[in-house]
Amino acid sequence: MFVGKELVRVDARAKAVGSAAFAYDLKTEDALFACVFRSERHHGRIRNIDLGEALALEGVVRILSAKDIPGRNLFGSIRKDQPFLADGIVRFAGEPILVVVGKDEGIARRAITLIKVDYEDLTPVLSAADAAVSPVLVREKGNVLSYRTLRKGDIDRGFAEADVVVEHTFTTQWVDHAFMETEAGFAYPDGDGRINIRSSTQNVHYKRSEVAAMLGVPDGQIRVLQATTGGGFGGKLDVTVEGFLGLAVHHLKRPVMMRYTREESFLSNTKRHPLSIEYKMGARKDGTLTAVKANIIGDTGPYASYGETVCLRAAVHATGPYEVPHVSIDSRMFLTNNPISGAMRGFGIPQLAFAHESQLDEIASLLRIDPIDIRMRNALKKGSLTATSQKLSASAGLLETLKQVEPFWRQRQKQGKGAGFGLGCMYYGIGNTGVPNPANAHVELGDEGKVILHTGACEIGQGSDTVLLQILLDTLEIEPRDVVLDRGDTDTSLDAGSSSASRQTYISGKAVHEAGLRMREFLERQGYYRGKDLRDIYRFAKDEQPLRFDGYFDPPARAIDGETSQGAPYATYGFATHMAEIRVEEATGECRVRRVHASHDVGKAINPNLIRGQIQGGVAMGIGFALMEEFTPGKTSSFDTYYLPTSMDMPEIEVMLVEDPEPSGPYGAKGVGEPALIPQAASIVNALRDAVGVKVYELPCNVERLKILLEKKEKT
Amino acid sequence: MLPHFSSLRPKTKGEALTYLSDLDRAKLLAGGTDLLVRMKRGESHDYLIDITAIEELSGAVLNGGRIRVGAGTTHRSLSLSPLVLESARSLAQAASWIGSPQIRTMGTIGGNLVNASPAADSIPPLLVHDALLTLESMDGERTERVEDFIIAPYTTTTTGREMLTALSLEPLPAYEEGYRRVAKRAAWAISRLGIAWSILEQEGTFADVRLAIGSCTPLPFRARKVERFLTGRKREIAVTREAVKICLDEIRRISGERPSFTYKLPVVRDLLQAILGGR
Repeated sequence: MFVGKELVRVDARAKAVGSAAFAYDLKTEDALFACVFRSERHHGRIRNIDLGEALALEGVVRILSAKDIPGRNLFGSIRKDQPFLADGIVRFAGEPILVVVGKDEGIARRAITLIKVDYEDLTPVLSAADAAVSPVLVREKGNVLSYRTLRKGDIDRGFAEADVVVEHTFTTQWVDHAFMETEAGFAYPDGDGRINIRSSTQNVHYKRSEVAAMLGVPDGQIRVLQATTGGGFGGKLDVTVEGFLGLAVHHLKRPVMMRYTREESFLSNTKRHPLSIEYKMGARKDGTLTAVKANIIGDTGPYASYGETVCLRAAVHATGPYEVPHVSIDSRMFLTNNPISGAMRGFGIPQLAFAHESQLDEIASLLRIDPIDIRMRNALKKGSLTATSQKLSASAGLLETLKQVEPFWRQRQKQGKGAGFGLGCMYYGIGNTGVPNPANAHVELGDEGKVILHTGACEIGQGSDTVLLQILLDTLEIEPRDVVLDRGDTDTSLDAGSSSASRQTYISGKAVHEAGLRMREFLERQGYYRGKDLRDIYRFAKDEQPLRFDGYFDPPARAIDGETSQGAPYATYGFATHMAEIRVEEATGECRVRRVHASHDVGKAINPNLIRGQIQGGVAMGIGFALMEEFTPGKTSSFDTYYLPTSMDMPEIEVMLVEDPEPSGPYGAKGVGEPALIPQAASIVNALRDAVGVKVYELPCNVERLKILLEKKEKT
Repeated sequence: MLPHFSSLRPKTKGEALTYLSDLDRAKLLAGGTDLLVRMKRGESHDYLIDITAIEELSGAVLNGGRIRVGAGTTHRSLSLSPLVLESARSLAQAASWIGSPQIRTMGTIGGNLVNASPAADSIPPLLVHDALLTLESMDGERTERVEDFIIAPYTTTTTGREMLTALSLEPLPAYEEGYRRVAKRAAWAISRLGIAWSILEQEGTFADVRLAIGSCTPLPFRARKVERFLTGRKREIAVTREAVKICLDEIRRISGERPSFTYKLPVVRDLLQAILGGR
């Protein structure tokens, strides 16, 4: 049996010895290099482009503009509203205007510096607050991208029943995904005149359809393959280099390489949404929550990307993992001329967790209730109604995660000045919100009796290759040596959806399991389980019937009400509790996280070691979000000024798992990718209050902000 | 991407000085942890003269009652040198905080000094130890105090034909000494503030005090006014509080008010108070 075992990652060896082929490793000798000329203005009309000097540079092969796009010059995951190349108007600094193809990278980059664009400046809208009132329209239809509301119970009654009400505004920053491998891809024409694109990506089928539509060709003319990918975190869901590569190969019929510099990645990639959250929470004397009201305002930049997703997810998760009878949430995303904010690990929930967990601790302290007791009192459990009035019927292990952390919490002892402890809880709907989001997978019995697993699910470091393999091994009762993995190729796999929303273990895992069950029936008939060899089964059966077995799973989630957001938007939820121990040096404002206890209800741990890895990564990202990472448009250009935690900032991490099985998931599994991050920053903020008595309403609480908060506290 | 250049790797000081004198558009490479970053951003030189293979430029030894540090000594070897740990502890500590392990293995004290960043960790300790610098060229040799050498952020008195070859530090083995820096994360970060100190206390009285502060004013500086005030006074809280106040006034006098002072001055106040101590 392999499920539940710590199988070594299937990609461990190749990545350790350096043989794994990232996009840049695929580049051929004769490949051209393309790079992007980007807008230097926030908002403007392009008056004139002078390409004279750039075209005169020896080695420049072609400069492509919007005019060279034969099909639809728009893309977008949720709505098609973003041009591949600016068509007359630029709406953020960094927006692509031209693709320059040169003989090599040096020439292409030099050519970029020789291009002169004459802009007619338009007034930029540079904050959500500005967008709400400005007569300047970022897009023709107005400056509101999305407005979602959630109404449950009677909010006035909820606050009337409360003995204590706390109300604060929380603000969060832009965060960059900062994946180690920047956006990259290599594309080439094949003998049939098709375009092949091998890129660093979180999805392949979506990219194929966008490139095909841009070129005005059928999907079948494009093949997208995932190269080994050095991290995604949501930043490689949108089209990055794929469109430009497709366009260049379409026109030049030659292999083309692209990779962004770190500066370009910072400038162009989508960010975590900066949110402003006005949050009001009420509770009875015994700590029972009666009401939550929140007004969430986000800056989403000029194009939709995943802004609507974040808007809605933030609304439905705004209460946190607690039973609250009366809820009223307003969530708005404003279009601005700032960088595009889009998908990033947690889709708005890490920001909301910062707010609801701070509020809960403040209520606990006002009522003199221990923070863990107030969480246990209000925790969602089997039979509870969520904020959308979805009744949780299974796999709701929040209380168990709290109980796993409880002994460490009760025995906590502050060691030294500036020490403190904090808790953070979260829940997170696995998969997309209230919309179908199926995955396909198929298995095939091939030459020499190998079982070939075909999946479109992208391995982005999270471990999906290994997890899907483990699920198949147990479904078929076969050995790793019997399986060949064929992943991330639009020619050989069906759409599995994106590696996002913590969905691949749950959804693709189930699709693989379904495909495996069909093959299992076949193998059963062929006598495999009575001792017959796979190779013999293949030889015997290959001419009789197609040896391909399909699997499909679409989680049973339903659309929610457009006005009240009531309904069952997710088939299952992840739950977690993190406890952070920190130490603050009051003289300097330095905060170090010393220890984290993290307990997660994962349904079933298909591979506990991979889950540990996810949680450790989530803790690192949460430390960055809480204490140091901050992208400032126009200022942050590289890792010089963007501080990510290093190994020296990492605490000891104790991972504990709860396995409350999800009946619809493969072997009871659900997802953990985003849950790993969501409560971490919240737990640190609560620990800061415990350690030095400061209330943090603005992230990141870096050394400077923390010292200034300490100074203010001294003065009052 | 790096611009094209020719690279030379002399084995002796004389060879390096000859190259410097004969070649135009040449630059010394003493580790390259700053220079190569700038070159990737567009700075160009026709020749890079890599001086890290010159053995006589490397190492720290006691010489005529002073510590002689070769300009090509890496941060890593400074941070591990028993002599530096014993007699110039703040420098060893500062060197151990510079950049990452990779940067400390490549980067050198001479390179750090000539780069003259206001946030360079090595400079406050050198100020505390009254470092004298030896600069050589084909025309001869001159000696300069570290305080006079850096004239503006990223600007020194050195000419393109000169090479910083050695530093001479006053050893202070009997002193309480240290370097404290504050940064946005635990390691591999540019200092937001750095304080080097060396204090000689005799029978409850400050016999000698040396303080240098980096990353606060345009140039790292010796807080001589504070030092003069403290010398001969009792190490007690009333005295050290007054000293801290003088120091903050001195910083304001040098720089005027700056937005970053909302943060930095309270940190200088609290760190300095802790360093000076007193009951």
